[in-house]
Amino acid sequence: MAELVFVTGLSHAPGLTGWLDQAPPHEQKALTDGFSELGNLLRASKPDLIIGLANDHILNMPLHDIHDFCVGTAGVWKGPAEWFRDWVNVAPYSVRGAPDAAQILFQELRKGNFDVTSKSELLFDDNWSVPLKYLTPEYDIPLIPIHMNCVVPPVPDPKHCYTFGKAMKEIIQNKLPANLRVALMGTGGLSHDPGGPKYFDVNEEFDRWFLDLLKEGDPDKVLRECTMDKMVAAGDGGTSELIAWIAAMGTVDDRKANIVCYEPAVELRCGMGCVYWDMETESANV
Amino acid sequence: MGVADTKRDLAANKMIYAVRRDPSLYQNFTQNLESIMKNYGLSEAERQAFRDLDIKRLSELGVHPYFLPQVSRLFHGGTYNHNKSVAAQAYGDSMVKSKEDVD
Repeated sequence: MAELVFVTGLSHAPGLTGWLDQAPPHEQKALTDGFSELGNLLRASKPDLIIGLANDHILNMPLHDIHDFCVGTAGVWKGPAEWFRDWVNVAPYSVRGAPDAAQILFQELRKGNFDVTSKSELLFDDNWSVPLKYLTPEYDIPLIPIHMNCVVPPVPDPKHCYTFGKAMKEIIQNKLPANLRVALMGTGGLSHDPGGPKYFDVNEEFDRWFLDLLKEGDPDKVLRECTMDKMVAAGDGGTSELIAWIAAMGTVDDRKANIVCYEPAVELRCGMGCVYWDMETESANV
Repeated sequence: MGVADTKRDLAANKMIYAVRRDPSLYQNFTQNLESIMKNYGLSEAERQAFRDLDIKRLSELGVHPYFLPQVSRLFHGGTYNHNKSVAAQAYGDSMVKSKEDVD
């Protein structure tokens, strides 16, 4: 069986790479240090493969043909897509995919009750370009990107995404090649509202509440309390990207999240932070 | 207006979706705006909102909120897109100005 060696949830807002110098110095330092530390932790777990979950940002799935989940099956990925390059301020990169593992993941997921499709061509914007710059600056760990519909109602709700995460865990452990070391990242959030009435606001109270909730290691409580309505109230057009974190939480049993950093980065138009779950420690409930 | 008010079949949404993906559309977007809008079958109201770069109006017509700052960037560029950048300010000015009109 393949082994899940690292699981993380992290923000990917483009200000982190595009205009971080606009944030107060203490925020710049906390975020740079925190995201760099997260990268060190991920690489120390020596993954052979990263499976990512992130908002598609209506870039590869048009409004009239949108799916909850889309597994990327290409052998090589390139980013950032040209129109986003200056905005996200990340130099062009390429990273290997994992077509065989991606096909297994897709074929197994579609046996479940999930609205899942696959694509061998995906444009990358900030969703992968920002995390990869910090997590794998050498772009040397293959990636299976799973794009999600986080912002076009009906959005898959937290319970469904948690179930999706649990299914992914089963597939990773039972269907992917033996001895493969897999890292999983859910990226998006925290509170932000791209293009909405709270475009220039961050909801620090919501963000800290959500992070504290993840620290408790009680998935049922997270699902009970972190409803879609609550996320929408904290920023209509972006906060619900946290369903990617909740899907990631579906792979960690009742482990407690470790908070690496958080800053209510108004200048980046997003509550920014990252967490990880220590997969080396046994869950109390495995 | 929020994500739930998006009109999925709105021609403007189809156009914005396509433009960001296609260099032949986003390069010289402003110069080619009229022909692109015609090709995508935008209504006169949608076309006028683009001509005026009236982002609040595009929102009212059913453009997805996520696309709205991107529309501003198509006109003003996306480099160094901080809160005081021309693109972010143009978005803010359009939304605030229209809000005052309504108030």
